[in-house]
Amino acid sequence: MQKHLFITFGIALVTVTGALAKKDSAVPAPLSTQKQLALVRVNVTGQSYDYFRPWQKKAPFSKRALGAVLSKGRVLVTADLIANQNYVELERAETGEKTAAKVQVIDYEANLALLEPTEKTFLDGITPLEITPDTVVGDRLAAWQLEPTGALLATEGLVTTVQMTQYPIDVGEFLTYRVSIPMQYRENSYTVPLVKNNKLAGLLLRYDSRSQLLDAIPAPIITHFLREADSQNYRGFPSAGFSFFPTRDPELREFAGDKGKGGGVYVTNVEPNTPAMKAGLQVGDIVTAVADREIDQNGNYVDPLYGKIEFTNLLTAHAYSGDVVPFRIQRSGKPMQLNLTLKHRDAKDYVSPPYNLDQPPRYYVLGGLIFQELSRQYLKEWGPTWERSAPQRLVYFDHFQSELFPEGNRRVVILSQVLPADSTIGYDDLAYLTVTKVNGKEIKSLNDLAEAVKQPIDGFIKIETEEDPKQIELDATQVATEAPNLQENYGISSLQRLE
Amino acid sequence: MQIPNLDFRLVRLIVQTFRPMNRALILVSITLLLGSASYAQQSSPAPAPIEPQASPGRAASASPPAQAVVPVPVPIAPIKPNGPVQKSLVRITATSVEPDYKAPWNAGGLERGVGAGFVIDGNRILTNAHVVSNSRYLTVERDGDPNKYRARVLFVAHDCDLALITVDAPNFFKNMVPLKFGGIPALESAVSAYGYPIGGERMSVTTGIVSRVDFQLYTHSSIDQHLAIQISAQINPGNSGGPVMQSGKVVGVAFQGYSGDVAQGVAYMIPTPVINRFLKDIGNGRYDKYVDLGITYSKLQNSAQRRFLGLKDDDRGVLVNTVVSAGPSADILRPGDVLLAIDNHPIASDSNVELEGERADFQEVVERKFKGDSVKFDIWRDKQPMTVSIKLYTPWPYRIQGHSYDVRPRYVLYGGLLFQPLNLDLLEAYRPTDLRLRHFFEYFVLEQLYLAHPDVIVLTNILPDPINTYLAPYRGGIVDEINGKKIRTLDELASALAETPEQFVIRMIGDGPPLVLDRNKVEAARERIKTRYNVLNEQNLEEQPASQIAQQAKGN
Repeated sequence: MQKHLFITFGIALVTVTGALAKKDSAVPAPLSTQKQLALVRVNVTGQSYDYFRPWQKKAPFSKRALGAVLSKGRVLVTADLIANQNYVELERAETGEKTAAKVQVIDYEANLALLEPTEKTFLDGITPLEITPDTVVGDRLAAWQLEPTGALLATEGLVTTVQMTQYPIDVGEFLTYRVSIPMQYRENSYTVPLVKNNKLAGLLLRYDSRSQLLDAIPAPIITHFLREADSQNYRGFPSAGFSFFPTRDPELREFAGDKGKGGGVYVTNVEPNTPAMKAGLQVGDIVTAVADREIDQNGNYVDPLYGKIEFTNLLTAHAYSGDVVPFRIQRSGKPMQLNLTLKHRDAKDYVSPPYNLDQPPRYYVLGGLIFQELSRQYLKEWGPTWERSAPQRLVYFDHFQSELFPEGNRRVVILSQVLPADSTIGYDDLAYLTVTKVNGKEIKSLNDLAEAVKQPIDGFIKIETEEDPKQIELDATQVATEAPNLQENYGISSLQRLE
Repeated sequence: MQIPNLDFRLVRLIVQTFRPMNRALILVSITLLLGSASYAQQSSPAPAPIEPQASPGRAASASPPAQAVVPVPVPIAPIKPNGPVQKSLVRITATSVEPDYKAPWNAGGLERGVGAGFVIDGNRILTNAHVVSNSRYLTVERDGDPNKYRARVLFVAHDCDLALITVDAPNFFKNMVPLKFGGIPALESAVSAYGYPIGGERMSVTTGIVSRVDFQLYTHSSIDQHLAIQISAQINPGNSGGPVMQSGKVVGVAFQGYSGDVAQGVAYMIPTPVINRFLKDIGNGRYDKYVDLGITYSKLQNSAQRRFLGLKDDDRGVLVNTVVSAGPSADILRPGDVLLAIDNHPIASDSNVELEGERADFQEVVERKFKGDSVKFDIWRDKQPMTVSIKLYTPWPYRIQGHSYDVRPRYVLYGGLLFQPLNLDLLEAYRPTDLRLRHFFEYFVLEQLYLAHPDVIVLTNILPDPINTYLAPYRGGIVDEINGKKIRTLDELASALAETPEQFVIRMIGDGPPLVLDRNKVEAARERIKTRYNVLNEQNLEEQPASQIAQQAKGN
C-alpha cells in the first residue's frame, strides 16, 4: 500500500520537474501531497584556518545549502557544510524570510549537525519531517531540492546498495545508501534530503555526476545522531579500536587454531587505550560473533534489513558509547567471550589527529622558525590529492602512526617552514623536519617545545631534528630582540597559540 | 658524488623532468628506426624535420630527401675548424634486451637504438654507457665504408654514462683518426657537436656555445652527480656518445638534455675531467666506479650556529649531518663535525673550495680520486681542531636507488609468490603507491634501513593458483621473518624456503596477518605453476651479467 502511494508521488514529481525544466512554465503546479515543505535554505559564511599561516584565517567562503526541518524546531544539515562557520542563516523557501541560526550539535565523523533558529517562531507552519529508518535496496527515494522560486525540485532515484563506506572524515566506516539518481545542479545543492513517503530517509553525502551515483548518510545514522543529541552530553559514535582481516584463507584459519570451516575475522592489530585492548582482545584472535550475531569469513553478518553487511555496522549505527557489546572469539582454537565497553575515540586521542575543525591550529614561532603539530588537517592543506602531494614523510608518519608511535599520548612536532629573518639566515630552505629535542629536552608536543626554549644552553636555543641537518641553533637574545620586527614584517598577530 | 647531499625533493624534481630525456635518447632512436620502417611501407607521412617520429629514416635515405621536406640551400663550409671528424666518428647500432622486472625469469624485451661514438687512442671507441647498456649485439659503421662491423664492449661506467667499445675486424681502425682531448672550454666559447641524430642518415654537425659549467644529475644511473657542461648546440636522440669539439679537440661527449616539452635547447655534455677519470680508472683493467664519502652535510651560514659550534667568523666549514655506516667515513666522521679543509683546500661555508682557480663543490676533490685513495680532512670537533684521513670506496647502499644495467633481476618464486628486492628499476616497473615501500626506498640510506634489511624483499606479484588464491592482499608487503627467523637478504629467503617444515609462516613488516603456506601443498603445485606460467627458473640469486645467464640456460 505504501509502496503504491509512493510510486504515484514519484510520477507526480517527475511531471513537475519536467515542467520546470522547460522554464517557460514559471508557475509550478502545486503538489497534491505537498503542504509547507519541510525544507529551509541554509546560507553559511565561514573561514578555514590557514595551516600554512597558522596565525590567520583564509578568505571567507560562502555556501548555500538546504536543511531538513525536524521536530523540536531543529534543522538537520551535514557537518561539512557548517564546519569553520562564522555565521549561519536560515531562509524560508517560499517567503525568503531569514533568521540567524545557532549550531546545536555537530558530529564531524558522522557528518551531521543540528541547527536551531534564533527566532523561535521561524519554523512555524512547517510540518517537520519524520524519519523512516527502513530503506532497503530496491527502494525509490526522492532527492528534494529547491528551485530559485522556492518550488520543489524532486528527482527520483533507486537505492542500489547499502554498505559501509568511508565518510569525509576518514576515521572509520559508516552505513551508507548508494542511490542511482540523475541529480540536477541547483545553487543550494549542498545538503540535499532524500525522502521516502514524505519521510526523511537520508542526507546527501557525495554525488558523482558522471556515474550519477549518490551516497547518502542513511536514516539509521541520523537516528543514532539525534538520540545522542537528545542526551545531555553528545558523545559521538563509538569505536572498538582493532583492525581485522578476512579468514577466507584456510591456511590462515588453521594457523589461528580454527580447524573447521567457521566464520570470523582475524585480529591484526589492537590499539592501546581502546575498548578492545581493555577487554583483552589480542592479535591473532578470531572474532566469530559480535552482539550475538555470527560473522562470516569476510566480516559480514546477516542484517534483517540489508542482508550481509560488515559487522562494524553493529558497532556504529547499532551501538552507543558506554554500551557493553559481547564478542565471541576463538583464541588458539578455544572459544571465549569478551565484553567490550564501547567508547568514542576523540580526534585528540590520536598522535596525528584526523581532523581539527572550528578550532584554531596550534603553532609556535621562534625567530622565523614555525613549529606545528602534525595532523591530517594540516596534510589536507595540500588539497584533494594530499596523500600524494603533501610531504611524503609526514604522510607516512600519519598513516602508520599507531605502528610508529605505539605509546600514543603525544604529538609529532614539526618545523614546518622558515620565514627568512636575521636569525634564520642559512636555514631558509628547511621545511617539514621532525623535532626530537630542544635544548636537550625531548619534545612530544608544542607545549614541551614552548617550555624547553625557555632554558637556552649558554644563550643558544638548540633544536635537534630527526632529518638532516639534525641540529639548528638560534641566539636566544637575538630571537627575542627580533620578535617584534618579525611580527610586523610578516603580519603575525601572535607568535604562538598553544591553547 | 652521490645525491643525498642534495635536497631530496629537488632531486626528484630533476629526475622527473630529466628522465624522459635520458630515456628519450634511446627510445626516440628506436622510434626512429621503427618509424622509418613504417615510412618505407606507407611513404605517406609528411616528415617535419624537427619531429622525431616522422623523420625520414634509413629507407628514405637511399633516395633523395622526401618531397615534403622544404629544400634548404646547403651552404658550403670552406673551413673545417675541427678537421675531418668523419674519420673519427662511428655510428653505433645496439640491439639490447631490457630486463623485465615483472617477469624476471624471461629474457626481457628486445630494443634497438642508434648512437654515436668516436675513436680514441689504442683502437678504442668512446661512447655513452646508455648507448651500449644491456646490449646483446653491437655494430658500428663508419663514413664511406659500406660495411657494418661487429663491436664489443670493453668497459662500461654506468655511474658517469661512459663506455669504451672496440672492433676486432683487423683493418677497421686503419684509416680512422683517433681524437685528442682538450680541457674545459671557456664560457661562451663556440663548440660543435657531431653525431647521427634524427633527421637524416649521415653525420650531422651542430654548433653552439658553452652555456654553463655545473654539477648535474647523470640520468643514466639517476643517482650520480658529476660535473657537466651545458651547451647551446642542438643535440637530439642519436647524438648520444658523439664528440663535442673545439679547436680540433674533444671537449665533451654529448649525453643528455631536456626533451622539448620541458625546456628548449638545453643540452649537456660530459666534460673531459670526467672522461679522463674514467680512462684512468680502467687503467688497472677494470672499472672501479666513483668513490663517495657517504656523508650528508649542510652549509654553515648561520652566525648563531657558527658561534654555538665555537667557530671563527671566517665563512669556513660545513656541518656533517649524517654519516652512512656502510661508507668510508663511518667511525671517522661524526654528525656535528665541521669539515674545515679537504686535502688542504679550505672549505667555504657554502661548501665550495678553490681548485685551480675555479670555485667548485668540495666533493669535486673526492670526484677526482679513485678507489683506495685517501682524502684528508681538517675538522672541528667539540671546539677542537683535528685531522682525519679517509680511505675511499663506493658505499653499496646507494646502489638500489639508481638504475642497474647489464644484470639480470634477482628474484625468488615460491608457490606462485614472486619475491624481489626493492630497487629503482623495480619501483619503475610496478609503480606502487604503497607508502611503506616508498619510504623504504627513499630512506634506505639516510635512515640506515639497509642494516636490518640489506635487501628489502617485496612480495611483488602472485601468479594465481589454487594454493595462493586468498593471498592477493599480501601483495606489496615487505618480508620481515619466516618461521620466526628474520630475513635480511634474498639468499636468506631462498634458504628459509628450502627448509622442510610443515608450514611457512611469513610475517610482513607492520600490522597485518601472517602469510601461511602449507609446504606440502606448495611442493605439489610448483611444477604446475612453472608450467602454467612458463617460468624457466624459480630463482635468480646472483646479480650476474645477463649474457652469462643465457649461456647457463643453454648449458642446462
